[in-house]
Amino acid sequence: MHATLLKAYKKMFLIRAAEQKIADHYLRNKIMSFVHFYVGQEAVAVGVADSLGKSDKMLGNHRSHGHYLAKGGNMRAMMCELLGKEAGSSRGKGGSMHMIDTSVNFVGSTPILAGVVPLACGVAFEQKFYKRKNITVAFLGDGAFEEGVVYETLNLAGLFRLPLLLVVENNLFSVNSPLTDRRARGHDSKTIVEGFGAKYMRADGNNYRDVVKKASALTRYLRGGSGPAVLECVTYRHMAHSAPIFDESCRAEDAAEVRKAKDSIARLRRELIKSGISEKTIARTEKNIEQGVEKDLAYAIAAPLPKKETLFTDLYV
Amino acid sequence: MSERILKYTEALREATDQVMAQDSSVCVFGLGVTYKNGADGTTGGLKQKYPTRVFDTPVSEHAVTGMAVGSAISGMRPIVHHGRVEFSLLAADQMFTQAAKWNYMFGGNHPVPIVIRIAVGRQWGNGPQHTQSLYGMFGSVSGLKVVIPSSPRMAKGLLIAAVRDPNPVVILEPRWLYALKQHVPEGIYVENLGKAQVVQSGKDITLVSYGDGLVSAREALSIIGEKASVELIDLVSINPVDHETVIASVSKTKRLMVVDTTHASFGIGSEIIAGAAKAGVLSSAPVHLSCPDVPCPTSTALTEDYYPTKVIIATTILKAMGKAPIEQTLSFEELHLAPSITLP
Repeated sequence: MHATLLKAYKKMFLIRAAEQKIADHYLRNKIMSFVHFYVGQEAVAVGVADSLGKSDKMLGNHRSHGHYLAKGGNMRAMMCELLGKEAGSSRGKGGSMHMIDTSVNFVGSTPILAGVVPLACGVAFEQKFYKRKNITVAFLGDGAFEEGVVYETLNLAGLFRLPLLLVVENNLFSVNSPLTDRRARGHDSKTIVEGFGAKYMRADGNNYRDVVKKASALTRYLRGGSGPAVLECVTYRHMAHSAPIFDESCRAEDAAEVRKAKDSIARLRRELIKSGISEKTIARTEKNIEQGVEKDLAYAIAAPLPKKETLFTDLYV
Repeated sequence: MSERILKYTEALREATDQVMAQDSSVCVFGLGVTYKNGADGTTGGLKQKYPTRVFDTPVSEHAVTGMAVGSAISGMRPIVHHGRVEFSLLAADQMFTQAAKWNYMFGGNHPVPIVIRIAVGRQWGNGPQHTQSLYGMFGSVSGLKVVIPSSPRMAKGLLIAAVRDPNPVVILEPRWLYALKQHVPEGIYVENLGKAQVVQSGKDITLVSYGDGLVSAREALSIIGEKASVELIDLVSINPVDHETVIASVSKTKRLMVVDTTHASFGIGSEIIAGAAKAGVLSSAPVHLSCPDVPCPTSTALTEDYYPTKVIIATTILKAMGKAPIEQTLSFEELHLAPSITLP
């Protein structure tokens, strides 16, 4: 149990450390790629990824550094992509919103919110068509959950009984708009999802153990072939929608103490110490991870830019 | 040996059948594609032949198209059918932003081998929301390949080429041509997706069209007969546009006329004229026939003058050549019913 939790903690910390370094770099040297930071939501990506096998597939959205890294995506390729370098995962053509590493079955991330939902449904269709044992997971936010194609897809995936898990990361805000400004009185995600005959569970997205427990229950369910499922994880995004800043004027919850109280990483760290892992061991692990990330960022900073003529390549295969 | 004559819709059906027999990853998705006369007859009987690969779908254009795109990302070769271009617009995100950009935005080697078949354009009684073509819209999206088959032979060859192509291909099928007949080879063959074709050589003027406009242009040439030597070009592809073939022709004829079956503004003709103008090969003002910049209404009294007819095309060519116009009145059937003629 210790070993599993420590492993999860390392992954969550890796995601946090990578984004912190990127944020620092962003503030010092302009990164010319829109960056939507995942800081605060790490328990969701890691909890879900830990419920999957390597051959299961994952797709993400505009805020997918965490999903990509949790699935095992290459750190240097990601850093290079953020800095627009040739060695980037998309050779500099995608940027932060287009993470991909098919070697670990991270199929791609695409920032048109719920646009990823039917795409993931198609990836799941292929799995079902060839009677594979794998499943497909797509991440979307609470804002995307308001787009109609989610409901079209729940019906379609239910009709074809596809192994599709939609993870709704409900971080309470669409940019800075709270749920109360966006949803009808009586809006209930559970009722909506179950109305399509799909399975629904809700997890505390700031609690790794709750996420992994419920994600595992749903991935087991999906492998049974009964059709799609939705896992809603209530969580909290610490930074602004698309910049490494904490703007307390936008959201009352942005006060530092609120963020700290909700922080999934601090929470898991406390649990590890309580379970008997020494503070010293954890601190040493954290330092190793940070040093690794620094090296990867330095590698990306030094990496060459793409050649100008590649502007015209890859329009078609 | 008697010639195999197929209708445009039969040619599309045969192409689908043959690619499905050849490649087990080809699936067909669309509203009513499992019906006996599914998708205007273009998918009839396929469900019986390939029961696990032909899918009638919910009326959810966005999700269904997106699911097909996702399956293509996973290596399958789906064909999606939209019975009206207006319905396909509900899937604009999946066509224009997902499928079309996927390979480029991930730096290459990420093919999306999907085919999206869309019925477009004129048909009696269909009115403003069922007769758009929106060629310019599809032509302007980088990352898509877009073709308009102008005959049964082209329909079969282009559909087979589209399924085999690793990129997203949109086939805009003018519904007006569905009853058209022609000799179609029995075996599997492909037509080039990105290349215009010279249908008839000539030396006085270059006439460029596509789809239903090309059929009217062909008929116009038979009216003109020996009165003018016209080089007729079937554009075939509007994404990319094969300017090279057009410019080579206009370099010879020095005159250009285009026939659009959509609005003049942001249509295809303006693109062709711009290409020729930039190349500096024109010696006179180009001529542009098109539909007016208003929606296509329903009443036949109003649609009578909406699309360029063979008589108008013939007369305009003769005028451009400084010759006397011809007098010919078209029947109600010729004006308003889809042609069921047999092409050479």
